[in-house]
Amino acid sequence: MAEAIPETEENRSFETNPVVVVQGVGQMGRSFLAEVGGMFWFIVNTIAETTDNMRRGRAPFRASSFFRHSARAGVGSVPLVAMVSFFLGLTMALLTGYQLERFGTERLVPGLVAIAFTRELGPLLTGIMLAARIGASFTAELGTMQVSEEVEAIEAMGISPLRFLVAPRMLALVALMPCLSIISSLAAIFATSLISVAYFNIAFVYFNDLVLSSLLIRDIVTGIAKSFLFGLLIGAVACYRGLSVSGGAAGVGIATTSSVVTAITAVIAFDTVFNVVYVVFFP
Amino acid sequence: MNNSTPPHVVELRDVRLQFGEKKVLEGVSLAVEPQERLVVMGQSGSGKSTILRLVLGILQPTAGSIFFQQYEITRLKRRKLQQVRTQIGMVYQYSALLSSRSVRDNIALPLEELTTKTRAEIDRIVDEKLEMVGMLATKHQMPSELSGGMKKRISFARALVMDPELILFDEPSAGLDPVISSVIDELIISLSEQSKVTSIIVTHEMDSAFRVGTKMAMLYRGSIIEVGEPEKFKQSKNPVVAQFLSGSTEGPILEGTNDAIATK
Repeated sequence: MAEAIPETEENRSFETNPVVVVQGVGQMGRSFLAEVGGMFWFIVNTIAETTDNMRRGRAPFRASSFFRHSARAGVGSVPLVAMVSFFLGLTMALLTGYQLERFGTERLVPGLVAIAFTRELGPLLTGIMLAARIGASFTAELGTMQVSEEVEAIEAMGISPLRFLVAPRMLALVALMPCLSIISSLAAIFATSLISVAYFNIAFVYFNDLVLSSLLIRDIVTGIAKSFLFGLLIGAVACYRGLSVSGGAAGVGIATTSSVVTAITAVIAFDTVFNVVYVVFFP
Repeated sequence: MNNSTPPHVVELRDVRLQFGEKKVLEGVSLAVEPQERLVVMGQSGSGKSTILRLVLGILQPTAGSIFFQQYEITRLKRRKLQQVRTQIGMVYQYSALLSSRSVRDNIALPLEELTTKTRAEIDRIVDEKLEMVGMLATKHQMPSELSGGMKKRISFARALVMDPELILFDEPSAGLDPVISSVIDELIISLSEQSKVTSIIVTHEMDSAFRVGTKMAMLYRGSIIEVGEPEKFKQSKNPVVAQFLSGSTEGPILEGTNDAIATK
């Protein structure tokens, strides 16, 4: 069949042979699975190397390293996360409020925004912002170390790069993501309270009652559980991409872009999977 | 083992390495005796630095065995390999100092991470090693504040900090002016004599190679084609070695390569 298709300028760019197309799809699937597998073993090896040191009665990494990355990833991200969530909270409260006002149900706005942010939007937005801000930074930093042979030098000294470089970064993201998600939700709820008071005549005290009565513990727990997962994902993707860099400065650029795209896609995909599993098993 | 002959510090037995279709090493066998300074020479891209990475266990050969003392590097488990690496120091071509850490922290890193020494002990060792390479004054500086030659000396101090049995030098005088290059060579000689350490030095700079080497090996097209004392090496009848030492464009080295076309 392949011989039947003449090699011309038109069909050179778009492959029309179904066998070749299926082959291409198969190859893409295979490389996707290889990437997922690589990342999975990357996380497993990082945990194994870190706990290995702990089993021998030694600190897995220096506390100062963990706090430095935590300050960078967490404290440094507070203004961005709080501001973006505040503005989104304002917008969401305004838009939903005006629609609900037509039916006289604007008092649902505080609960709606509170649930949406605590359970869904807070962790998701924080994940996307951290993937862009911190994931890119971790990938670029580790990638530069990789191309300048610093990572290999660490390995040559008998120090595990996974324990020394990856573990504190990943732990910082896992530990700080829930805190940032909470800040995101609080900022959005605060913005909603301003809109509720200014446009819908809902007093602060009543607003509080409405938020507290609509929020369930399981909404808060779900949001926090997701945040831990997203932190692990962003940290793993960023560090994996950083340590896989090859090809000098251009390679660092490509890896950084890929890290942000992969992390954001992974966060959204895992959020969907999490929601489906949650709704099916814990209705 | 025969007691009259000293055990090899490093031994490569018929080591082969292939990346896909590309054959990098095709049966390399080499032995390095205690306190020897073996210089591995060869063209750029011939696989000299690859040999160092194989000895460190960072690369795995396609076939063959690599021994460091009694350990077969190619068969060691991850944990044991990390322990063995602490007995090997490595000096990289571009120093590979951690740019985010000061000179002191760079040298102290293996001590902090792999030993239970106190801060005072670590500082004493760092000062001692910096003194050995004549760089004590730079202790609190960052690598970005240092010149290429200074960085190289700091990386020597870092390689020495765990008192290794073996030091691997990857192009130690690359990118340095002739004077600093000579200083680095003198440093390699004095450090290896003071610390009674064995060294493998990879270079393609002839002056430097003959200054520091007590034994020479020539790597050509994936194989070791000549090994011997520097004097014997200079008088080699092998046309490849002779051309390499003379730096002539006429001879077998460039035959069939793109460089041959460029010289015409």
